[in-house]
Amino acid sequence: MKEIIDQKTLEAIRHYGDATTEEFYRRLRERRFMSTRCTACGDVAFPPRGFCPACHQRDVTWIDLPVRGTLYAFTQQQRSIRFSAPDVIGLVELAGVGHILTRIDAPFELLSIGQPMQLDFYEVSREIVLHQFRPVG
Amino acid sequence: MMTRPAIIGAAALPVRRSLEKSIRDSATEVALDALADAGLGGREVDGLFVSPPGLSGPPGFMWSCALAHHLGLSTRAQALVECGGTTAALALKMAADAVRLGRCRVALVVAVDQRSTDAQADLEFFLKNAVVGLVGLYGPYDAVYGLGAPIPYYAMSAQRYMYEYGASVSDFAELAVTLRTHAKDNPRAEHRKPITTDDVLASRIVCPPLKLLDCSSFSSGAAAVVVVSEEVAKGCSKRAVYVTGFGEHHEPAHFAPLRSPITSFGSASQAARAAYAESGRGPADVDVAEVYGVFSATELMLYEDLGFFDKGQAPRALRDGKTSGEGRTFFNPSGGRLSLGHPAGVTPLLAAVELAEQIRGEAKGRKVDKVDIGLLHAEHGMINGSVVAILEGA
Repeated sequence: MKEIIDQKTLEAIRHYGDATTEEFYRRLRERRFMSTRCTACGDVAFPPRGFCPACHQRDVTWIDLPVRGTLYAFTQQQRSIRFSAPDVIGLVELAGVGHILTRIDAPFELLSIGQPMQLDFYEVSREIVLHQFRPVG
Repeated sequence: MMTRPAIIGAAALPVRRSLEKSIRDSATEVALDALADAGLGGREVDGLFVSPPGLSGPPGFMWSCALAHHLGLSTRAQALVECGGTTAALALKMAADAVRLGRCRVALVVAVDQRSTDAQADLEFFLKNAVVGLVGLYGPYDAVYGLGAPIPYYAMSAQRYMYEYGASVSDFAELAVTLRTHAKDNPRAEHRKPITTDDVLASRIVCPPLKLLDCSSFSSGAAAVVVVSEEVAKGCSKRAVYVTGFGEHHEPAHFAPLRSPITSFGSASQAARAAYAESGRGPADVDVAEVYGVFSATELMLYEDLGFFDKGQAPRALRDGKTSGEGRTFFNPSGGRLSLGHPAGVTPLLAAVELAEQIRGEAKGRKVDKVDIGLLHAEHGMINGSVVAILEGA
């Protein structure tokens, strides 16, 4: 069943995503967590875009996102289609970017808002690698 | 030629887990009931606006055409509208705007949402469709984290509301209990059995801090309203309910916003401001509000964002009885999304039906005293977009 979910996830990412989405996941497979920054106004987009969603010109460049952030909010799903329950997800605040949805690699009970977090990766399959964060230290 | 649009007919089926009849039979029933309520025949209808007949289910491609054929309606204005949870509110807005501009005189708005699915019949088939559907809904960046419903987003919003404003899970439970009290006298409500705050606090945790009884249910339902020109409304024997203001605002965000707060929602405050400005009314004028709160915590935040209370003050207002007392705004007499039930594609039209019945004094057991002005709110995503309408009795 996991193979079916992974295969359909890939197909759906291609169907609903775009060329930039493919690029984002390709970089995650290389263990690089990146997004795009506008060369004109400097706005950092997340998720990445092939243009600037702030000033709408087309010249953007890929940049590494911060590997450290702070926990903005978190919860856990008792039922998840992908991960075994309970499955902790959260919003991590990255300086100069915003708060982004990510997987949290820690028990819910040990977490608190404002906690420093460190980037990590989670390999779902060879094709799908996700970003995740865990408490620092 | 500009005219004032008015609702003169309204009907809805009881909200239940699944529709008792087929989608087409349900649509027909509410359409004919709403026309009978308006005292009009189908031949007078010249506008038809519908929502997809299963917002999260099979596509509604050409549904307005099929329904016009089935009902025998000849129209000058017709469309199927879709914009997440605001869908039926926008179908109502399109009908009101078409009437206002003279593009039609009698517009029928019909919403049906069948959300009950036979998930277990073929698990593999279900999973394949579910995965693709969820990536389509939550996008290729969020869905892969296992989102199967919008609850985690709203749970994190509730957590931040506690962190930023000192709200508690008891406040959330208190709201769920209040809404259940309202639903007790509403035969249309899906959940009418009385509950206590202890029941809410002891219910299963879905996504902390939200528990089962803090959440609205996936429900099915159907509703219809008839929107007509002022000239037609004046010939009607019942009290006309004029649509005097609309406001709409959509942020450039889908579910979790990148930078905006998740404890106050700009779409709700801006849509409300626009609707108040267009109608010349303010929060203090509103007798009854039907607010699209799909989770207990969310509903409290919306009371604030719609301009009724200062930020962070809704829990106190609730405790002091200021959200369902006489002589001030009464919130969600229907039972709200938590107890009326939440067929998302119909919910805003159920709100319109409730407000029309309150304004016409037809709300029977759940009647709020002296209702002249109602506020309708609907939202999509995690309140990334909102629609607010002001309804006023003639």
